[in-house]
Amino acid sequence: MNDNILDINHLQVRFETFDGVFSAVNDVSLSLGHNESIGIIGESGCGKSTLSFAVMKYLANNASVDGSIRFKGEELLEKSEKEMEAFRGNRIAMVFQNPYSSLNPALTIGFQLDEVGIHHQKLSKQKARHATLEALGMMNIGDPQGIVRRYPHQVSGGIQQRICIAMAILCRPDLMILDEPTTALDVTTEAVILDSIKELRAKLSMSLMYISHDMGVINKVAEHVVVMYNGEIVERGPKNQIFENPTHPYTRSLINCMPRGGVVKENTKLNTIPGYVRRRGALESGCPFVDRCEKRNDTCESKYGIREVGERHFAACDRAYATDVPDILKEKLIPRPRTTSLALNSHKELLKIENLHKVYGARRKVYAVNGIDVTVHPESVIGVVGESGCGKSTTGHMVSGLYKPTKGTIMFNGTDISIAWNKRSKDTLKKIQLIFQNPGRSLNPSHTVEQIIARPMKRLANMHNATERRQRIVDMLKKVDLGKEYLEKKPKQLSGGEQQRVAIARALSISPDLIVCDEPTSALDVSVQASVLNLLNDLQLETHAAYMFISHDLNVINYLSDYIMVMYAGKICEYGKRDEVMAPPFHPYTEALLSAMPEVDPTKQKKVIEITGQLPDPAKKPKGCPFAGRCHKQVGEICEREYPPMVRLSDTHYYHCHIKAMVE
Amino acid sequence: MKYVLYQLKKHPLAIVGIIIILFWLIAAFFGPSLVPFTHTQMDSEHQMVGPGTNGHILGTDSLGRDLLARIVYGSRSILTVALMTSIVSTIVGVLLGFSAGYFGGRIDAAFLRSMDILMAIPPLVLSMVVLGILGDSSILSLTLIVSIAFVPATARVSRGVLLTEKSQEYVSAARIRGENHLYIMFVEILPNTTGPIIVEATARFAYSIMMVASLGFLGVGMQPPTPDWGMMVIENKPIIAQAPGAVLFPALAIASLVIAISIFSDFVSKVLIHER
Repeated sequence: MNDNILDINHLQVRFETFDGVFSAVNDVSLSLGHNESIGIIGESGCGKSTLSFAVMKYLANNASVDGSIRFKGEELLEKSEKEMEAFRGNRIAMVFQNPYSSLNPALTIGFQLDEVGIHHQKLSKQKARHATLEALGMMNIGDPQGIVRRYPHQVSGGIQQRICIAMAILCRPDLMILDEPTTALDVTTEAVILDSIKELRAKLSMSLMYISHDMGVINKVAEHVVVMYNGEIVERGPKNQIFENPTHPYTRSLINCMPRGGVVKENTKLNTIPGYVRRRGALESGCPFVDRCEKRNDTCESKYGIREVGERHFAACDRAYATDVPDILKEKLIPRPRTTSLALNSHKELLKIENLHKVYGARRKVYAVNGIDVTVHPESVIGVVGESGCGKSTTGHMVSGLYKPTKGTIMFNGTDISIAWNKRSKDTLKKIQLIFQNPGRSLNPSHTVEQIIARPMKRLANMHNATERRQRIVDMLKKVDLGKEYLEKKPKQLSGGEQQRVAIARALSISPDLIVCDEPTSALDVSVQASVLNLLNDLQLETHAAYMFISHDLNVINYLSDYIMVMYAGKICEYGKRDEVMAPPFHPYTEALLSAMPEVDPTKQKKVIEITGQLPDPAKKPKGCPFAGRCHKQVGEICEREYPPMVRLSDTHYYHCHIKAMVE
Repeated sequence: MKYVLYQLKKHPLAIVGIIIILFWLIAAFFGPSLVPFTHTQMDSEHQMVGPGTNGHILGTDSLGRDLLARIVYGSRSILTVALMTSIVSTIVGVLLGFSAGYFGGRIDAAFLRSMDILMAIPPLVLSMVVLGILGDSSILSLTLIVSIAFVPATARVSRGVLLTEKSQEYVSAARIRGENHLYIMFVEILPNTTGPIIVEATARFAYSIMMVASLGFLGVGMQPPTPDWGMMVIENKPIIAQAPGAVLFPALAIASLVIAISIFSDFVSKVLIHER
């Protein structure tokens, strides 16, 4: 027999629902050797999580499972619930996406971890505590003695996830399944966790199954990559093979559609995958990707099947390099020519923010934004980037009027708009539009697309003629690549990308001057993200609106912005034109953010600057540099004591740090 | 519609509930004309007889009145009051709960405290006192009283669902479009809260039947000679040994209707809330 930890053979998982039977995992076979690490990648709805739940036998009761899952030669599908207990948590451990909901908020961390040892390994209380402390130590959690006495809500999200991983390794499992463990975390925290997972593997020699939608993350932790699409494995093989020589068109599109490696809007248009993941019925055959594939031909159904294309490299398609159709993924897409010089060099001010502050709460104060000065020029894109909790969304919401600033002024086209929405004039409301992060929630679920887009036109643009309005809505929909048939649909019937397009159409329908985009692509899949970014870019050229683009993803910001503003703890760290800020980064925080971005190219491994610790307590008014506590370049006591001076590098570029000042 | 049938197949109990409700609705509409006796007609030769005697299908009470006729006729008043109560209390509750939850702050605090006060008094006691003072129990006054007793519950439910919807981004989107409060409350939010509100309304329907029956039992319900199920139970209590049916049948009527509506309400909540 082989010594594989896990062998999955022809696994099928089907769910029976009201809409009929559909298959979530279809004919999946894979094996995982001892001390191997496998990364499973695919968009949402591709069956990655269902596959991992099937291994744990955690499926809902409308699921039917066929095939075989062998764990060290033992058939898991034949085990009873009782027998599975010996495997779950003990020999196969799992870490979930959201650490906050996987820990019990009513019990101390120590108690929850001890329980694992006591239950699975029949340890005594003292021994269990000892094992707990050891596991926490292995995850590089400082002060394990103190942590065990705390409750989950008393530690940050990053620490919570490390505790979850510590819980998983407590019994020294043979196999650990990680289901998007860093998706809910900031990039800087993600980088730290990925590093400790790497260390763990070296120490404990266990097998790993890592699920993610992010190529960059998979690149960091896995040696083998499995690409799943619509419940099927379309390609698997060693990491380098997959990244350098992807054979299935889907793999290639996935790698290509992210704005990585410093691509910018002026010279590259992002590659996209048209369409979206369609639910697959149980009886369909052939390549699942066929309806979104550019290289499809009539053999896609008849000759479909997974075959070996290289050493340990399997793929369900070999048409990636086919020559009978032009390879549009290979060539760089040239964007439309821009006439940016005028807008970028103008000194006209569309929006001028001065000394902007926002304090939430009356008794327990939270200082969200602490004095921001920035100018937005007409027809330009300003990217606002920072970790969660840095005040970037609050700033955007104050500009759009959802919140009233506590202090400071916002001037828009010469009028003071530092007032809440209900005091703003109709014209201001019309000229500033907001696009939200979650399109599903920003569109009223009980209104039709037509009603949704028509309302602002009726209310703010005085368009009362119904036929005229409808014509304009159809034009708008066409601009965002949606057909006439969408008029009568409700948001629930649309995919995430289509919903966001409707939201964009709504914002653009009344020709605003400024659109605040609050993380408009972070709730979307990577392939959809690319098409939405392309769309926003094209529409900006056409409508000449200025964007205030808020995101936590530096790559996206880098792609779309003309100016970049890096925020930390309610302050601006660095501001300047895109190229000035990105190459090279001056502020240590910008540098750390940039280094934490996972790289897709396996040949380029960069050194990550680890920033540990947490954001400063937002309930205290910061003194000194807010980043001082986590900074890897701290120059001394002065960082904690004094707010750093502004260092001006050019007319448009400045940052706040003591370093330059010290050198001089 | 297809989805409703699919759910019906999965919950056969709901079919039973719906059949019972339909039975009572038909009884209320056509029953009195189908039964050969009227509810006030006294058969002096057959008092306190068992079921099946002299054409009295369910027997008679101490005055010789036909039980079936009285039950069937009584279903009219109880169904009318219950239906109107659930509609009135839902509308008033939505208006109150929505404005309190939407505006928040002091308005909300005042609303919550006054609802607390209303809720502190048991609804039955409240209704008895008010009916006692009014000294008159017509369908209208009963509806009014029971509605007042139920408003705190419906208002709280509406406030709760409004609060979860209020934090949704589509409400923010409406605000920065400069929509007025009424538009946001009733055009943007209301259509998305119909599920829980309808479920609450059907539950209130069952509760108000209980309530009207209880008031009748306590003697402050519909006044004689209008037959009332609760009143029938109490007025026939002395003859329970001679004619157990005179107590049993009205009690069964109350129970079957309340249970059927509860089952129906459960089903409605499954369909409506799962759909979202």
